Amino acid sequence: MEHTRHLWRMAVLLVLLFVLVIVGRHFAVPESFGAHGFYRYDAVGEIMAIPAVHGGPESCRDCHDDMAGAKAAGRHQGLSCESCHAPLATHVSDGDVAAPMAIDRSVTLCARCHVPLPARPAFVPVVNLREHLELEEGQPIPEGICLECHDPHDPQP
Amino acid sequence: MTSKKNEHSCSRREFLSLAAKGAGAVAVVLFSGDLALVSASSAVKGADLAIGGYDPTRHRYIYLVDIDKCIGCGACVRACSHENQVPKHFFRTWVERYEISRSGEVAIDSPDGALEGFEPRATGEDIGKAFFVPKLCNHCSNTPCVQLCPVGASFTSPDGVVLVDQERCIGCSYCVQACPYGSRFIHPETHTASKCTLCYHRLTRGMTTACVQNCPTGARKIGDALALGDEVAEILATRDVRVLKPELHTQPNCNYLGLSKEVR
Repeated sequence: MEHTRHLWRMAVLLVLLFVLVIVGRHFAVPESFGAHGFYRYDAVGEIMAIPAVHGGPESCRDCHDDMAGAKAAGRHQGLSCESCHAPLATHVSDGDVAAPMAIDRSVTLCARCHVPLPARPAFVPVVNLREHLELEEGQPIPEGICLECHDPHDPQP
Repeated sequence: MTSKKNEHSCSRREFLSLAAKGAGAVAVVLFSGDLALVSASSAVKGADLAIGGYDPTRHRYIYLVDIDKCIGCGACVRACSHENQVPKHFFRTWVERYEISRSGEVAIDSPDGALEGFEPRATGEDIGKAFFVPKLCNHCSNTPCVQLCPVGASFTSPDGVVLVDQERCIGCSYCVQACPYGSRFIHPETHTASKCTLCYHRLTRGMTTACVQNCPTGARKIGDALALGDEVAEILATRDVRVLKPELHTQPNCNYLGLSKEVR
């Protein structure tokens, strides 16, 4: 009996160590970790809760049916309103208008699609701006010049 | 003296053993969940994966890029930047321009990720073929970035989207180095890994991704392999669809139509 005392001590220490590991693990490992794989499943819900910034064309149509209608039949029907204007979240918050919607009348906006590039597919109508506007060498391209002739919601060539 | 000592130590032993038993019992009650995990490991349970009415086991997202339709306007890049508050000069998606001369010279560029589209480039080369290649996280089924994450911050959701747990990520950037597609970066403010989430916050609300929604030509499409009559699934089943770097066996879920051999 006398000689088994050290074994008992060892057993007690091991049990304590086991309890310590379990308690430590409880506080170190997040609750949903390992529930469905080697990750914290709650993170999925957290990412899902991020608010959406773009609303999509349907959200614009709720208030701007006239504009959406004109665009839907025209050559720019594939364009999302928000890609030329700005994301819905900059204009509407909690269903109310928070700020006026951005309107970009710059040549740069049109040029992103309509400047000729070797890599640009042939189905995109492109225009050499300087030739099209008959500008002299060094003459700057006037800002907003495209919209003087072309309606961005229903553009004609 | 000895008998007294023995008596004393015996009672101590009893006390210790009783205390250990007691602590064990308390631990079993309090931490039974942890004990279950220790004994039975973390077997994936089929049930209770639904979050707020969204069941990720009922979806399997697949992405498609049609290179012939990409006009290089960069609307997708701008939309992604707005939607996900991507820091300046970092990208969750970007567009590359390939110009290949008749002699076989390949020129690739992506000025600021094509955030502002592309300017004409004076190459002087006789261009044989030229095209734009939109890129994003390939959400690989066999992805190295998830395999080597030391803390379980990178993971694949049950619907096949590779995501990062921003709370767990320690910013070691192993995943940034491991991704063969350059899809990840360390966020300059949070110092954690950041990447395309396939607009997971939008998909799970029944919306489409910001890049797909803002693509003017339909060059980008997202589908659901588990949905009946899905357009992308139909294209994958019937057309010549390729993936980037198939030799790496990462099994990307981002597919390309019209992918030229020069694309890396």
